[in-house]
Amino acid sequence: MERVLIKQGAEGKLYSSEFYGKPCIVKERFTKSYRHPALDKSLTTQRMKAEARALLRCRMSGIECPALYMVDIESRCIIMERVLNSVTVREYTRTLQEKDDAKNLLSLAKQIGEVLGRLHSNNIIHGDLTTSNMLIKGYGENSRIILIDFGLSYFDSVAEDKGVDLYVLERAFLSTHPNTEALFQVILDTYKDNNKTGAEDVMKKLEEIRMRGRKRTMVG
Amino acid sequence: MAAKVIANELFPDSTITLALFRNVENVKEIRQCVMNGTFEAAILKTSMIVDPFQVIVAANKAVHQNKVGKMMTKNVHSEILFNLSPSKNISDSFRKFGAGDTDQSVFIAVIDDKTGQTLQAIQNTVKGQQVDVDEVKQLSDLNNIKKIYKLTDAELSWSPLDALVTRIAAKDIMTI
Repeated sequence: MERVLIKQGAEGKLYSSEFYGKPCIVKERFTKSYRHPALDKSLTTQRMKAEARALLRCRMSGIECPALYMVDIESRCIIMERVLNSVTVREYTRTLQEKDDAKNLLSLAKQIGEVLGRLHSNNIIHGDLTTSNMLIKGYGENSRIILIDFGLSYFDSVAEDKGVDLYVLERAFLSTHPNTEALFQVILDTYKDNNKTGAEDVMKKLEEIRMRGRKRTMVG
Repeated sequence: MAAKVIANELFPDSTITLALFRNVENVKEIRQCVMNGTFEAAILKTSMIVDPFQVIVAANKAVHQNKVGKMMTKNVHSEILFNLSPSKNISDSFRKFGAGDTDQSVFIAVIDDKTGQTLQAIQNTVKGQQVDVDEVKQLSDLNNIKKIYKLTDAELSWSPLDALVTRIAAKDIMTI
């Protein structure tokens, strides 16, 4: 089936195609010629497996994400569902802001908080939370959030990593959507409601990370 | 009603043939034919299939694993059965996903039946009525599928098919 290039990043290329009649996305990772071939193969394999694992674990935890169709380690491809009739949360937020639609912005923030709370209470760290890595299907009351791009994800129960996850989103959110501080607070509040056991520690960490940045200071 | 022949997406020279039979009286005989080598095919339990696409994903994976030499079972048809199953136990997979002797319907998948000879042989053997493969949706037993694949209620409400294909595709990477 014909593959149409839709995006190219540092790690790989994203194609749009069809998989036995179903719209799909093919995510192909490059071989990096500057790395030792054995290391390159092992890193690529690890990351592809991590992504597949995260997609399955999210699904089992009640978080919507694309269905996985095939993992092809040999040709460095992951084939997954292309979510039709969806826009990125980034675009959606822009549209709502232009319309000054406070009600739907609020319900969007609540939805994001709910999904993230559930994600972290299941110890899944996304690794690259931005509004471009969340898709939204539908509009207003009937919308659903679908998380995508688990290329950097892993599983961990440490509050630090969850804090960094939220911090990355905060930075991305506030810089792409100006004047949304109050909205981000709503995300955090709903997050707390949906991650009852761990939220307190994560919030403490988040404060700490805000002061020092994403990287931990290494002293001693 | 004709069988569905699908070209493999990754290896254009390979094909997957799907056929569904209802009101079948002789599943035992069909299984015997496969076991003694009269023809080679995957004889699947219809109650475990929600959509032909589920079988396509498993078959596609089986063909791919065969080409790269990473099959877990003896041949590409038994690999389809194994891929469909969430279990790593081969005989357990065959028992749960292969058609049983008392079943009244069978779903058949054949890899690389280019001349149509295998399908012809199957059609000659099966005492039953061949129907459209999409009718398998009426024969699936969601409760049992939910139990064997350990589906959550949320997954069932979105799309059972998506949940199953994700598990099939990720089987060698993560067990549930």
